[in-house]
Amino acid sequence: MNDNPIIELRDLVKDFAGHRVINGVSLAVNQGEVVFLVGPSGAGKSTVLRCMNFLEIPDGGQVLFHGAEPEHTEKALNAYRMRVGMVFQHFNLFPHLNIVQNITLAPVKAGIMTLPEAEARAKQLLERIGLADKAEAYPSQLSGGQKQRVAIVRALAMEPEVLLFDEPTSALDPEMVGEVQSLMRDLAEDGMTMIVVSHDVGFACELADRIIFLEQGRVLENDTPAELRASANERIKEFLFVRHIS
Amino acid sequence: MRMLSKWSIMIWMLVLPVMLCLTGCKEERGPELVMATDATFPPYEYFSGEEIVGIDVDVVAEIARRNGMSSRVENMKFESVIAAVQSGKVSLAAAGITVSADREQQVNFTRPYARAMQVVIVPQGADIESAAHLSGRSIGVQSGTTGDLYVAEHIGEPERFANGALAVAALVAGKVDAVVLDNLPAEKHVARNPKLRILPEPLTAEEYAIAVNKNHPQLLSMLNATLEAMEQDGTLARIAESYLNRQDAEVADEEATSTGLVASFYANFVKNSRWKYLAEGLVVTIEISAAAALIGIILGSLIGIIRSTADQTGRYRVLDLLCRLYLTVVRGTPVVVQLLIIYFVIFGSVEVSKVLVAIVAFGLNSAAYVAEIIRSGIMAVDKGQMEAGRSLGLGYGYTMRSIIMPQAFKNVLPALGNEFIVLLKETSICGYIALVDLTKGGDIILSQTYDAFLPLLAVALIYLSMVVVLSHLLKKLEKRLQKNER
Repeated sequence: MNDNPIIELRDLVKDFAGHRVINGVSLAVNQGEVVFLVGPSGAGKSTVLRCMNFLEIPDGGQVLFHGAEPEHTEKALNAYRMRVGMVFQHFNLFPHLNIVQNITLAPVKAGIMTLPEAEARAKQLLERIGLADKAEAYPSQLSGGQKQRVAIVRALAMEPEVLLFDEPTSALDPEMVGEVQSLMRDLAEDGMTMIVVSHDVGFACELADRIIFLEQGRVLENDTPAELRASANERIKEFLFVRHIS
Repeated sequence: MRMLSKWSIMIWMLVLPVMLCLTGCKEERGPELVMATDATFPPYEYFSGEEIVGIDVDVVAEIARRNGMSSRVENMKFESVIAAVQSGKVSLAAAGITVSADREQQVNFTRPYARAMQVVIVPQGADIESAAHLSGRSIGVQSGTTGDLYVAEHIGEPERFANGALAVAALVAGKVDAVVLDNLPAEKHVARNPKLRILPEPLTAEEYAIAVNKNHPQLLSMLNATLEAMEQDGTLARIAESYLNRQDAEVADEEATSTGLVASFYANFVKNSRWKYLAEGLVVTIEISAAAALIGIILGSLIGIIRSTADQTGRYRVLDLLCRLYLTVVRGTPVVVQLLIIYFVIFGSVEVSKVLVAIVAFGLNSAAYVAEIIRSGIMAVDKGQMEAGRSLGLGYGYTMRSIIMPQAFKNVLPALGNEFIVLLKETSICGYIALVDLTKGGDIILSQTYDAFLPLLAVALIYLSMVVVLSHLLKKLEKRLQKNER
């Protein structure tokens, strides 16, 4: 582990309705690293990810960004979220805005760019993912894969330091998974720091620098893909096996 | 009255801040006698064309003249005239009011200025020959009159109408078997309707007096002194006489009820420019509905946002509690009661335009329904939308405004449209505070022509066309909003 992680969790705890779903998770993610969170359903992967963006407020432990915990005020959290972007399972594009408006809304509101600058940047990003012709379209006119790629671009437009992905391909038809994965691959090559919750162990093994295996709200294993594959832990073996044949 | 005072406490709690700034503009009453009446009671008070005339009007005008004052008539429902005196809205009420023990609890009465009897009107050829035949029959009365009280006490539950003319119209239409009214109005009605007659034997005899506020003994003694003088010099008798023999413009519209449709149309709408009641009423209805809808949408959205924010984030707990109290009170009480409370209690001692009172009442009422509609719209927007906005660093307020609300508004547009249609039609109760809106306009025509069919049909058609136009506009708006998301 590096000495200067971008994001670090220390003994993270989260309860839902008196039930402890995250039970002391610690991990650190370095600049340019791609980290996957895997594990069985209900292991707390998404909750850990959402705590990193304070969509869930932790009940214990710390979320450190460049070594300091952001204040829990609306203003400080807004500033923090501008630097830590998020991509959702269900895309959550704004249906009443067209694609360019979806992308430019936040950077213009935040004062990062003027509207013309933001629009030029949006067009450039859409060009890059091959959706320039959809600039004026509305989300409902796009396929699932296109929506998710626009959602990624929307997060990128804020020029964040870290991107969080919450099961980015789970809601997609199988034939659309590829286009989203390929965009994520490009981002990884560009050196984007990414933390990805995924069920897709194959993709994790291909793209991840490190894979963190969670079970019952705890970190079971935190390794490179190769180390994880060689793990002697029965639960992990079983999990990897089931995933690969399914 | 007990209920009223309980209500007033509740309402006072809600509107105290409003009252504090309004008391500053409380008006000083000039040397003017403002007279509350219900101009549907000929010959004591009724519309002659545009003007309210009658025995009571002339008596009060004469009293004012003899005391160097001017007089003005404030027309309202008969049920409201006593309350208007109590609240200080008017100086006095002269509306053919019979002195009774119950009413004396609430107001002071002058010496009587007229004597009247309750008589029974029946159709020609009916098998009712005396009061004894009345039991078991349906009897029409004007709500709140002594005829009403007498029938309820001695014969059975009457059919209560808003005014005598409506009761007589119901008799003509065969809806009731007999009508009990004061003798002079009854004679007027029968004179205009050859199909009716008055039973020779009156039900009761009684005296009319002017009602004044219990806090104004000096006004009462002034009225008594002047009335006494007027009785002694024969003025009272002369005034009454002049109306008994008067066959003025308002009378004899047999065309309205008897002959063909064209003549009936002429009598109801063309003659004496009666269509103006509808036209002017329509303007009032549109004014009130539009302004109330505006208040409703602004205040309602605000409440809806506060409520759903409190539900979702736990913020604004106190404000949320106040909003819930507001919704409970407004949605838990009839709008007509709210209108009357706002008119008589909240603005009781303040001189404000009645249109404004109606706008405030309907606006506050509509806001409660709009609030719940907006809240349901907000709740129906996917939770991920708020999260997506927040994850981009947008604040709660900005996300609400630019992402959630546009979607919520679109979700609930049909329900909002429905609310505004209901609002438009609900304003038809404005007559309770003597506002001549579209419905009251039709009512006035009916009270002059005794024809229920054409005036009501016209009123209904006008409402219907307004609703059709409104629905059409809403549909267009809905389509335009939807186009974007197909």
